[in-house]
Amino acid sequence: MTDSRLGPDGSDRRERDGGRDGGRDGGRDGGRDGSNDGGERSHDGGRDGHPDGGRGPGGGRANRGRNSEPQWIGPSYSFRARLTAGLIAGAVVPLAAFGLVLGAAEIARSGGLDSTVGGLIVFALAAAIILAVVFGYFLAGNLTGPLRAIARAVERVSAGDLSVRVEVAGEDELARLVESHNRLAADLERRNTELGRILVAIGETSPRDGQERLVAHATANARSAFEMIDAAIHLGDPDEVPIEEVVPGEARPVRAVLALPDERVGVLTGHLPATRSWDAADQDLLELFASEVAVAIRNAQLFEQVRQQTERLIDLDAAKDDFLRGISHNLQTPLTSIRAYAEQLTGERPDRRLAIITEQSERLSRMVRQLLAVSRLEAGTLRPRLEVLALAPRLRHAWEALGVADLAFELDDDAPGWLAVADPDQLDQVLWALFDNAVKYGAGSEVRAQVRPDPAGSRLLLTISDRGPGVSEEARDSVFERYARGGGPDHPEGTGIGLYVSRELCRAMGGSLELEPRGPDLGGAFTIALPAEPPAAAEA
Amino acid sequence: MTGPARGYGATSPRILLVDDDPNLLVLLADQLRADGFDVQTARDGDEALRRLRSGWPDLLIIDMMMPRMDGLTLAREVKAQADLPIIVLSAIDTADSKADLVEEVAEDYVTKPYHYPELRARIGRVLRRLGDKVPRRDLVLGPDLVLELHRRAATVRGESVPLTPTESRLLYALAANLGQTVTTETLLDRGWADTEDADPSYVWVTMRRLRQKIEPDPNHPVHLVTVRGIGYRLVGVAGAEDPVPA
Repeated sequence: MTDSRLGPDGSDRRERDGGRDGGRDGGRDGGRDGSNDGGERSHDGGRDGHPDGGRGPGGGRANRGRNSEPQWIGPSYSFRARLTAGLIAGAVVPLAAFGLVLGAAEIARSGGLDSTVGGLIVFALAAAIILAVVFGYFLAGNLTGPLRAIARAVERVSAGDLSVRVEVAGEDELARLVESHNRLAADLERRNTELGRILVAIGETSPRDGQERLVAHATANARSAFEMIDAAIHLGDPDEVPIEEVVPGEARPVRAVLALPDERVGVLTGHLPATRSWDAADQDLLELFASEVAVAIRNAQLFEQVRQQTERLIDLDAAKDDFLRGISHNLQTPLTSIRAYAEQLTGERPDRRLAIITEQSERLSRMVRQLLAVSRLEAGTLRPRLEVLALAPRLRHAWEALGVADLAFELDDDAPGWLAVADPDQLDQVLWALFDNAVKYGAGSEVRAQVRPDPAGSRLLLTISDRGPGVSEEARDSVFERYARGGGPDHPEGTGIGLYVSRELCRAMGGSLELEPRGPDLGGAFTIALPAEPPAAAEA
Repeated sequence: MTGPARGYGATSPRILLVDDDPNLLVLLADQLRADGFDVQTARDGDEALRRLRSGWPDLLIIDMMMPRMDGLTLAREVKAQADLPIIVLSAIDTADSKADLVEEVAEDYVTKPYHYPELRARIGRVLRRLGDKVPRRDLVLGPDLVLELHRRAATVRGESVPLTPTESRLLYALAANLGQTVTTETLLDRGWADTEDADPSYVWVTMRRLRQKIEPDPNHPVHLVTVRGIGYRLVGVAGAEDPVPA
């Protein structure tokens, strides 16, 4: 009796395969794994399992190159013959035994019981029973063995090992069952392989590739995944590509629409070898692939759109930058002349009126710079150049440049020797804006500036305050907002961007700008924090 | 090549001033002449190049925005012919995206509207720096330090570190006197000529910050050495190719 069993080679291999995908959730992973590491193998297997490949029984169809040995079922008696023999044995043996018993009873009744004859009868009876049991047992084994082998194979296929095939001799019902199992497994394996290739192909696509490369890539992938003779992707209305008839014996045309839920992007067409089977499951797989291609193409189109928009925005931004630079130049050039001439005249013959011209041209030029700063802050192109500088003299210069000689200014430097780390140009803008603010809203009160080290670390704190009414409760939250003006309709002057720009500039320099809480004897008060260097020991 | 006639004696530096605004051109030329410079003027890039053919000045002052050839193009063209020091006058400030382009070709630049005293101080600084000749190439000071002052950066242990304008000015002065002590006063003048309230602590603190950037161990400097009570010295260490310019 040839029990079906795996060869040692096959079982080893199975263990290894099983080990590889073992921990993961069985079926699908196993299937992918198998299809990935066995390109060559499954080619062979696919052809072997081909339903049109002839029904020739076992012997001739060696599964060369397969990783599992075929499950062999023999001998070559038909299943019907074996079942008949079994049934006969089951019926005849008890009948014979019954006859023997009847005969023995007859003999015993007619001619006295000869003990020898009686023993013979008992012996024959026992022999017949034993014979029947043994015969029945072997027949049962002969019948259930192939069924067990088939069951094992089906179990392994359902566990994901699609390479298992069962071989059977003869052409009986069992052989046909085995044949259809093999075909099923082969189809599953082929589709698994195709699915694996599709997944790999999808994983390789990127919207960055652009539509053209994507289409070329998808066409090549369709050809290799489905083993097509040729493949083509037409973008646009799928109905523009006529549907081809299937002609037996010629290459089989296949087709799948590149469909999205809301749009048909195009159509994928191609031809398969005439011998290749093609059923609903294959078509499903092709359509799955087509819809993935459709998604990839849509992504590429969107990506391209976004890229173009971004480019356009960058161009526009550069144009705006150029425009503002031009405006700035066109405003600053006359201001430069005005100020230079006023300064020169002041040098020759000091005059308060000339000083006002100087101050006001400076003011105008500061405002232009503030607007430029807003544009750069919005574009993210502001890059401060950090240098070390002493704050106290800087503050004094900034105050003097403002030209408000009639207001008292008090400067407390409680951080002698400390140097702030800041961009001099940007810091000047901040100081100018804060002083301007203090003068504007301070109601003629004294303006005070105080510099002190931050007790929390290597930073300098700089508070600029006035003794005016301060910032009202309702305005506190919006004071740093763009185009916010503290004074309401009574104070229409100012661009409303001074504090916004100042805060952003401070942040860009690694510092901060805060509004101080209102306190007695304190009007509007803003504190700048800047990175700083503690006093250096004299070394050179 | 012979320079233009010198109207203020053999020692007065020659300046070619290029600006398309005639008001400014006349005024600035007057102010510079009053300070003892030998000044020629040009209204645009072409005129400037024509004037250069008849002799090189010691310094060019170029307006950034001019019709036809802009200041940047002119500066590049001049630099392609000779290593003339250039100061760019421009309405853009240091935070502008074009500032880097300007700094690549120009020794310095002054934001419009300028204070004449500040411009004057910067002219003085650039002219003083003429004596400090550093090749416009990388300066290898050791296995871990390469100075690339022409693009205001250093490569420290293979990583590029940006330098501020002041830091690179100080390193420029030190590199020009490689291995020799440069006094704190000289460094203060090179770094902060236009900052009237700068004192030696500016130099000390900036050196401390520079060491943090370029020294392998800032607490034990090997490249930026303090010469106590006098100044600083920039030195190359073993493994460096000969960094002394020819």
